[in-house]
Amino acid sequence: MKFLKILFSTALLFSANTYASDDVPSLAGKRIAISMTGTSHYFDVKAFQAQVDEVKRLGGIPITLDAGRNDKNLVTQLQTVVTQKPDAVIQTLGTLSVIDPWLKRIKAAGIPLFTIDAPSQYSINNTTSDNYAAGRLLAEQLVKDTGGKGNILVFNGFYGVPVCRIRYDELIKALAEHPGLKVLQPELRDVIPNTVQDARSQVAALLNKYPKGEIAAIWSAWDIPQLGASQALIDAGRTEIKTYGVDGTPEVLDLIQRDDSPVGAVVAQQPVLIGKTAVQNVARYLAGQKDLPKETHVSTLLTTANNLNEMQQLRGDQ
Amino acid sequence: MSTDLSLVGAPTLPAANRWQLKLLRHGASLAFLTILLVFAATAPNFLSPTNLSNVVAQSAILGILAFGLTLVIIGGGSNVVSGGLDLSLAANLGLSAAVYATLNNAGASAASSIALTLACGLAIGALNGLVVVGLRLPPLLATLASMNLIAGLELVLTENTVLPTDSPLLDLLSFGQWLGQPALAWVFLVVALLLTLLTQFSRYGLRLYAVGEYPEAATAAGLPVASYQFSSYLLSGLCGSLASFCSAAWFSGSTTGSGEMLLSVVAIAFLGSVFSQRLRPSITGTLLATLLVGFLVNGFQLLNISSFWVNGVQGVLILLVVASSSLLRGSV
Repeated sequence: MKFLKILFSTALLFSANTYASDDVPSLAGKRIAISMTGTSHYFDVKAFQAQVDEVKRLGGIPITLDAGRNDKNLVTQLQTVVTQKPDAVIQTLGTLSVIDPWLKRIKAAGIPLFTIDAPSQYSINNTTSDNYAAGRLLAEQLVKDTGGKGNILVFNGFYGVPVCRIRYDELIKALAEHPGLKVLQPELRDVIPNTVQDARSQVAALLNKYPKGEIAAIWSAWDIPQLGASQALIDAGRTEIKTYGVDGTPEVLDLIQRDDSPVGAVVAQQPVLIGKTAVQNVARYLAGQKDLPKETHVSTLLTTANNLNEMQQLRGDQ
Repeated sequence: MSTDLSLVGAPTLPAANRWQLKLLRHGASLAFLTILLVFAATAPNFLSPTNLSNVVAQSAILGILAFGLTLVIIGGGSNVVSGGLDLSLAANLGLSAAVYATLNNAGASAASSIALTLACGLAIGALNGLVVVGLRLPPLLATLASMNLIAGLELVLTENTVLPTDSPLLDLLSFGQWLGQPALAWVFLVVALLLTLLTQFSRYGLRLYAVGEYPEAATAAGLPVASYQFSSYLLSGLCGSLASFCSAAWFSGSTTGSGEMLLSVVAIAFLGSVFSQRLRPSITGTLLATLLVGFLVNGFQLLNISSFWVNGVQGVLILLVVASSSLLRGSV
């Protein structure tokens, strides 16, 4: 079954790569605003750089905007971008309720709006991982590893960020079918910044409260809290508890390789391909191809210690 | 506005020194003007009316918070350690916005949501006033402690999540326009005007300055120093909750991370004094400092320069404030 899953994902990856190397219209002379919520994590940095590189490769001029994970900066930059009148805007991530009114204004100003991981109604196309599949596969792996029994600690700090919401909802859906698994209340809140340190100390404190055998797994919607949680488990010698998250940040992948690793699984995303694909969608749209799908999905790969090498090869990490 | 310093030192200074003194006093305004001219010449669309009014609207949140801090500095004196200081302003905004979003989402009437949000800000101001004026704790530590307390209350209320909300008031603030200018810009300017009238043109304002600058003299003159200082914290708390309405409109609800605004607020309030000839805190100075920072962020984005440079420029400006204020003090 696992082999089939890998094979399936490999096929998807292959198709996405082929898609990306298609002839893409030029962006010569076009100014493309690349608006980032932040560039402090592996996913952001890779997706950001890929967008800049692809805009340049296609002959366009990138306008780079980075809100530094601060909502006030983000809203200000989205408001000012209307003044800049770029040929298109690509918004990466963000809490939808906060950014949507401002995305609406960008659309109202007649600037084509594209998004990454932000399924806004005002976006022409949203490039994203298939977070439904990612969330489901991750939850299934958790169920399988725990044998469908035990308590789970869940980090749910960013339910307002659509991709996190989808992954969380998929977890809850899977748990509904396995009543032996229970989410410990209250749920934990991951924070930005200091995500790793904060998750590490939250988990370290809870390990004292719950002795061996009382926690089966720790789940988070992305893998930076997972990194902190895993470090806390290693510190406390409690690697019988497994952690689950999404992104495929290199530090988490390093931990997977350890003997006695606390990392159960991480869904690896392909931020480079996501960034590249979003820019290519912009180029196609500006060249007159107006029939873009509302969403373009880039495949993910559920990564465990068993298939780490394949994942790294596929993503181009090695 | 008073023009008192010229009475003290200028006549005894040689011409060259006088000229330097003038340059120091007007340096900030000149620098602001130069920055505006450079942006006007180089940044595309910088001078477009929409862009200019956007910057004013974008400055509302930080500006109103910085007004609160300015009032406290006026009343407590501008010494960073022993003078007036309110570090809880950003946390006040966070909690007030969360209170408003929670009440509004729970179906409370518009009037009661607004009143309770303002009451929340006032209560925080009263708490700060009590510990600083009543218990005589150093404002730096006292308001740092209340900041943590308030941030904790906000976490309890929001569980560190974004609380989206929508109300006619927020719609008006975020989408409303009057004479073609955005509502938030009007709110910012009207608050600035009212507070300027209060601090510069009322008996209360004159006395607040007296209490802050010469507490012993004010006491000797029979002014109730403690009451004036307490009132400055109340006003500051009120500014926190006023800013929270702007913030709730801006973010369509309450959002996390409001604490990050603190350093900008402190920087702006202290930067503001550089716009006054005597380097003393004033609402108009703070207004100009807020706009300066707003125009820097805006101009840098229009020029496609990373906004992180704004922090650097802000740092340089603050160093200039400190340097020029010590120079000025040395020259009189």
